[in-house]
Amino acid sequence: MGLILVLALSGVFAGGQKDGEAYDRLTIYCALPETEIPSYVEAFKAETGITVDYVRLSAGEVLSKIQVEKNNPQASVWYGGNCDTFIAAADMGLLEPYASPELKNIPESYQDPGDFWAPVYVGALAFAVDRDWFKAKGYDYPASWNDLLKPEFKNMISVAHPGSSGTAYTILATMVQMLGEEEAFAYLSKLDDNIRQYTKSGSAPPKDVGLGEAAIGLAFSHDCLKPAVQGYPVEVTFPQEGTGYEIGAIALIKNGPAREVENAKIFIDWVLSKKGQDIYSQNSSFRLPVNVNAMVPQGAINIKDLPIINYDFIWAGENRARLIEKFTVTIANKDNLK
Amino acid sequence: MNNNTADFFWKLRMLRKEPLLVVFIVILLALLTLFVIYPLFMIVRYSITSDGGALSLQTLFNVLKNRSYRTTFSNSIQLGVISAVLATIIGYIFAFTITRTEVPFKGFMKTMATIPIISPPFVLSLSIIFLFGRKGLITNGLLGITDFNVYGMHSLILVQVLSFFPVAYLTLSGILQAIDASVEDAALNLGASRWKIFWTVTFPLSLPGIFSALLLVFIQSLQDFSNPAVIGGGFPTLGVEAYRAITGMYDLRTGSILSIMLLIPSLIAFLLQKYWVSGKGFVTVTGKPSQNRTKIDEKHITIPLFTLCILFSAVIVLFYGTVIMGAFVKVWGIDYSLTLDHFRYVVSIGLRPLKNAILLAVIATPLTGLTGMAIAFLTVRKNFIGKKYMSLASLLTFALPGTVVGISFILAFNDRPFMLTGTALILVCVFIFRNLPVGIEGATSALMQIDPSIEEASVNMGASSFQTFFQVTLPLIKGAFFSGLVYSFVRAMTAVSAIIFLVSARWNVVTTRIFSLFEVSQYSDAAAYIVIMIVVILAAIYLLNFLVNRIAPDTNVKARKGFK
Repeated sequence: MGLILVLALSGVFAGGQKDGEAYDRLTIYCALPETEIPSYVEAFKAETGITVDYVRLSAGEVLSKIQVEKNNPQASVWYGGNCDTFIAAADMGLLEPYASPELKNIPESYQDPGDFWAPVYVGALAFAVDRDWFKAKGYDYPASWNDLLKPEFKNMISVAHPGSSGTAYTILATMVQMLGEEEAFAYLSKLDDNIRQYTKSGSAPPKDVGLGEAAIGLAFSHDCLKPAVQGYPVEVTFPQEGTGYEIGAIALIKNGPAREVENAKIFIDWVLSKKGQDIYSQNSSFRLPVNVNAMVPQGAINIKDLPIINYDFIWAGENRARLIEKFTVTIANKDNLK
Repeated sequence: MNNNTADFFWKLRMLRKEPLLVVFIVILLALLTLFVIYPLFMIVRYSITSDGGALSLQTLFNVLKNRSYRTTFSNSIQLGVISAVLATIIGYIFAFTITRTEVPFKGFMKTMATIPIISPPFVLSLSIIFLFGRKGLITNGLLGITDFNVYGMHSLILVQVLSFFPVAYLTLSGILQAIDASVEDAALNLGASRWKIFWTVTFPLSLPGIFSALLLVFIQSLQDFSNPAVIGGGFPTLGVEAYRAITGMYDLRTGSILSIMLLIPSLIAFLLQKYWVSGKGFVTVTGKPSQNRTKIDEKHITIPLFTLCILFSAVIVLFYGTVIMGAFVKVWGIDYSLTLDHFRYVVSIGLRPLKNAILLAVIATPLTGLTGMAIAFLTVRKNFIGKKYMSLASLLTFALPGTVVGISFILAFNDRPFMLTGTALILVCVFIFRNLPVGIEGATSALMQIDPSIEEASVNMGASSFQTFFQVTLPLIKGAFFSGLVYSFVRAMTAVSAIIFLVSARWNVVTTRIFSLFEVSQYSDAAAYIVIMIVVILAAIYLLNFLVNRIAPDTNVKARKGFK
């Protein structure tokens, strides 16, 4: 009865795609905020005439999706998200290596030796602070990781859970790389006393600060700046003893739709080019471009001027599952064991 | 020859009389197998095989050994039971007050009891932060408390009860309407007190509905992901842990196993419900003429009920009012000067996702509603092979966390022979099979009130099962039909987790866009979208009410006013 109608309707919807000669479309999975995406795809279309259809997912969701779609991926490019998700995807054999000619303008230290993914932006870990709260209390903004342990910040710090957020995992891996594993867990367990909640999303802590739910939020600097753009009283500081950073990446998905492959490469080249990277300065995304010729967004801090540590991405990727498990059991869910 | 074989042949003979019905049952069973059992099978298979394709139970053992998961499991069940009981009590109070008493503002109360299903995940959680957070309007502004903790189980219970009680209300109001007025009136005429009538007549007769409501809320609470993720704080639940395993640990297998574990308590609840309800008589509608229901107007009953409903409605107004206000102010939480900028923004970035969502919901809703009614009718009234399978299968997709439903659909439909990913059809199918149970449960409870002899009479007069279904059964259970339609429309419009893996570039829908706005702190723009959605959904509810009354006019008595 009614269900037969569904089957009839399926023809109507499925028949929407047409095979063209010079194919002018491209499908991407994009892990950047949906509000940013149109600024890239419109500029790209104006330049090349290629229409980009996008699906917005978080980086972890893109990974799950291409994992189960392995035999028949529905998109050709994955744009955005912390490179450690890309490293995991490359290990699972889900990415196709591609060495874009534009890589020559990008510092080698950011690049993947196997070219399974290309770096597109970097973001340093920062503290988002609630200007009003600090003014009312008369405290100084935190300037180091140790400042975060101060008793006056009890229940005032928001940070994401490394099990669901690449941002938070970068924090965890940064601490372990800076202090050594034992010290790092001792630090995090002290920090736990000051934690308001472990959020799901890596961009949530600065939002908690904007809403007044936390006085300090830990996240990447580009996410820390967003609530301020909307008018929330948020400012950004960096830990002086050193901070970790993420490399945002782009990659070609293995076995993507064959007719899109050429367009996919054109898109990746464009994203890595000065033109594609200059858009970060125009759309309030505050991402720091990796192309040395691209403009640095106003309000963002150049990573060269920050005390970044020599963050080891390969090590971080290899130890990921183990460290997250340890964090979940000994710190975040420790109440569960009582 | 034993009994079973005889029974089997009897069923065959009965069905041979109506070949069309047999064909229909076969199609329905085939579709349930294809869209429920097959994806479930694929994900179970996936989670117990290694990448090479060999059987590997390692992940399963790891999950079972993990102490932390066990606590999480019991957390989830505890939360589910509390939410289910509270939501059902509140749903019952609303349903009873609206169907049985003579009180003002019923239209308002009906709207308040329906509106919370329209809650894209984080909305209530955001409201709770603006109202009760550290800078909250109530905690800080009104009471001067600066350190109220909004995160944790208490907030989670509040938010879940608020968002799930409408399901209880919809199920219970369907059944309370279906109870024949004359039974209660007879008791009243015999001199029983209102109190006695309630406990000896109304309450026992509404038991199937109460069990249905408990079951539906319990399952929803178990598989809920978005509320615990935003407001749960240090209270981990299984749905959240499953999501973390999948997207944070890149461990699809552990995530799937955790989600499949959620099916166990859901199935136990389902079996308990069927066991309790089966074999008891609930029939009150017999086809004999019945009188207008005498509505309760004794002040000592109506005033407390009315007060409770209004108080609870006030909480809902407060929460949704906060959202609506958020859409009209410059910066929600900071700058409260009024503006329409957010609506201009929403229109400027395009309404296509909204149109997509409406289109998909319009296609899915009647299919879900009718299929649900048909399944309820078949499983309550007809005897056929595969009946238990049918009622069980129709519940499974509802009980799984949305993320896992999405993943299982990709596993099942991204490859030959069933290539469906990227089409709108796959979204429509998810909506249908995921939203069936509310209609089915409502209709099953209502059908138990109705004497089968009414339908038998119709069949004896020569009508086919199909004519009987549309002309006799459907009008009698239209309250449940309407609830099923409303629920499926709203859920199709507001689904997030189930479709996040299935939306394609061409079939992006509005909820994913709202979520993105939330991600970049554009709360007021997100609120503007939600206000537009609330308007669309309310319009749809009134339209559905009109259509249901047209299709299935009240044939019985004027006093049995349809749900409005």
